[in-house]
Amino acid sequence: MIDAALQRFIALAGAVGLHYDFLLSGTEVRSWLAGMGTTLLLVVLAIPLSLAAGIAFAAALTSGRPWLGLPVRAYVELTRNTPTLVQLMFAFFALNMLLSRALGGAANNPFTPVFWVLAVTGLHVAAFHAEALRGGIEAVPAPLVEAAQATGFSRLEILRFVTLPLALRTALPALVNNLVNLVKLTTIGSAIAVGEVTYASIMIWTQRDNVLELMILILLFFGLINLTVSRIGRLVERRLAVPGYGA
Amino acid sequence: MAQHSADRPNLVDLQDVHLSFGAVEVLKGIDLTVAKGDAVSIIGPSGSGKSTILRCINGLAQPQAGRITVAGVRVDTLRSEAERIALRKRIGVVFQQYNLFPHLTVLENITLAPVRILKVPRAEAEGHARDLLARVRLADKVSAYPGELSGGQQQRVAIARALAMRPELVLFDEVTSALDPEMVGEVLAVIRELVREGLTSILVTHEMRFAEEISDTIAFTENGRIVAQAPPAELFYRSGNPRIRQFIGGFQGFRDAMQDREGI
Amino acid sequence: MSAAALPARGALRAAGPWLAAAASAILLWWLLDARLTHDLLDWLPYLASGFAMNVLISVLAMTLGTLGGIGLGAMELSAVRLVRAPAVAYVQVFRNAPHLVLIFATTYIFPFEIVVAGNYLPFPDWLKAVLGLAIPAAAYVAEIARGAIQSVPTTQWDAAKGIGLSRSQTLRWIILPQCLRRALPPWMNFYASITMSTALASLVGVHELLHAATDASTAVRRDDFTIAIYLTVLLAFFLFCYPISRLTRRLERRLVRR
Repeated sequence: MIDAALQRFIALAGAVGLHYDFLLSGTEVRSWLAGMGTTLLLVVLAIPLSLAAGIAFAAALTSGRPWLGLPVRAYVELTRNTPTLVQLMFAFFALNMLLSRALGGAANNPFTPVFWVLAVTGLHVAAFHAEALRGGIEAVPAPLVEAAQATGFSRLEILRFVTLPLALRTALPALVNNLVNLVKLTTIGSAIAVGEVTYASIMIWTQRDNVLELMILILLFFGLINLTVSRIGRLVERRLAVPGYGA
Repeated sequence: MAQHSADRPNLVDLQDVHLSFGAVEVLKGIDLTVAKGDAVSIIGPSGSGKSTILRCINGLAQPQAGRITVAGVRVDTLRSEAERIALRKRIGVVFQQYNLFPHLTVLENITLAPVRILKVPRAEAEGHARDLLARVRLADKVSAYPGELSGGQQQRVAIARALAMRPELVLFDEVTSALDPEMVGEVLAVIRELVREGLTSILVTHEMRFAEEISDTIAFTENGRIVAQAPPAELFYRSGNPRIRQFIGGFQGFRDAMQDREGI
Repeated sequence: MSAAALPARGALRAAGPWLAAAASAILLWWLLDARLTHDLLDWLPYLASGFAMNVLISVLAMTLGTLGGIGLGAMELSAVRLVRAPAVAYVQVFRNAPHLVLIFATTYIFPFEIVVAGNYLPFPDWLKAVLGLAIPAAAYVAEIARGAIQSVPTTQWDAAKGIGLSRSQTLRWIILPQCLRRALPPWMNFYASITMSTALASLVGVHELLHAATDASTAVRRDDFTIAIYLTVLLAFFLFCYPISRLTRRLERRLVRR
């Protein structure tokens, strides 16, 4: 049944001059679908990673302790003002190489290219999350923090129960924006041969020269993912909304 | 009002407390005693350091000199934040700007500290919270958010929140100053009942008549010092200090009018 | 920020120069390895020409994107559905598209030479990269323009009418200057991000900085050189983009004060 539908689609597309024949070739389609799967995997893993790191960075930046805040501030400025692709190359071709040396050979190195893509893109976007959250944290009225202090909460408990929940609500639109960028950023994995959807597509179009056709599919794919991310973001925003606070 | 008894232990004892913010000296030698079960009001001109005294008592502000003893703890010698936190769990504070957590319901606001800090089981904490809400006459607002409540209601919830930790001492920092006049009465009524039940409390307030009514002693601050601490009758009507008489006199003219203004 | 954080901030500022000095000292000690420094300096012109390409691509892409974006932004605000819809569609599609994918698209879709009036003109890769980045740039600038125009309160129009200005005069003297002021920080921010995206062009063979660095690294084949060369690339982008970011933040603050 899928085959029949595919045939019709290919015929229709052919009428407008687009060649989607590759959809019928078993191996190519499978590798392309695997590429989509890898992209989804990267997205699903990178999003929580970036959020967790973003919260940690924001906590460090607002802690008032220079030994925490300074290194994080330095990293945030560095990663926001240099291309992520270059950071990835540096991580993979320099840091990873050193690591392999230290561990006695690439075979002993447990860190895969996927790991490096996740680490670099996740931490890169975490820096943007940190700035958004920092704004949210600083917007929490000081009397509220003082009231929590007077109750007997520790600094970390105040952050967890009072400051962060409120900062999150303020920063949510910016955070969702950052996550949309994160989704787009996963494509740089193709530079170090991570088989995400761009890389898989390159493999196909170098053989079949159907760049435009694949491009359309990729744009639809990313459009769909980003739409989902935005939708989920709006859902979360609605669920977290409390009457009388920044509504 | 129970007479101030010399053989009841002092819960709070401040001796010659000095505190400066940077170059500005705010407290210039504060002496204050609060016996267990007493209600002590602190009155005086704005800027004389009243709120700062309260913040010294629960360790939110650190004095440069002087002795502060609260429930047997030498607050001025506490060095670590952990020790101060341990003290704060035993003292309740109600602020001028109620400061309820806007993202939590009324019930959650009250149960947050007992559950998270004292590790009270949630069911028990919620039961206690409902009792407290009933006492402040807000039993029907259990699931409301602070943003949906009036100022007076929020302040009463704030009082319930402070009481939820079963504190040995409650500090009230100008709790009615930010309220519309018609809501002041409902809050004062709650405090009156708590004091009658024997709550040890220190109130910084501008409500002279209320202070006169409920306090065991009243302390008068001026220029960073407590110039007198005495039972209301003595301080208001028999004070030898001309500044105090002048200050109270400013309120004397309203006394009769305020007699009629009874809240609840 | 609590009062406790203020002395810490002062310590931060005091520590800053010391940490910078320490970092420079370490760097200097490392570079004193004469062979490494020699090699770096050898490759510097090659790298510099590569970076010039990055700047060129970013400037051209931003120019095209801005021109197109302003038009698109205006179209998005049109009352005519037929004009509005394609603009909105364009923005939606190309704001969600990864820049790398678009660069690949323009590189592989466009022919390697074009025919103009019977002459065969080469269509170089870097120009394709410019187009690849200009496409999303137009989408972003459209949103920036639209946001800037919409953020000027309608009361400004009424006030201008009240003192007798015509529609075009209002636009020119009242609305547009305010729009430009509001649009400038996000526009500059975006320019910095486009500049960083130009590094993606290395993956399609354009001779820009990252590509030059990879060339150098494969030619020299030494670990310390590879590390040094990538650090140089990072430094080059940082020195270009960080001042833009600082300037943007300063502008934003001045805007808010107004």
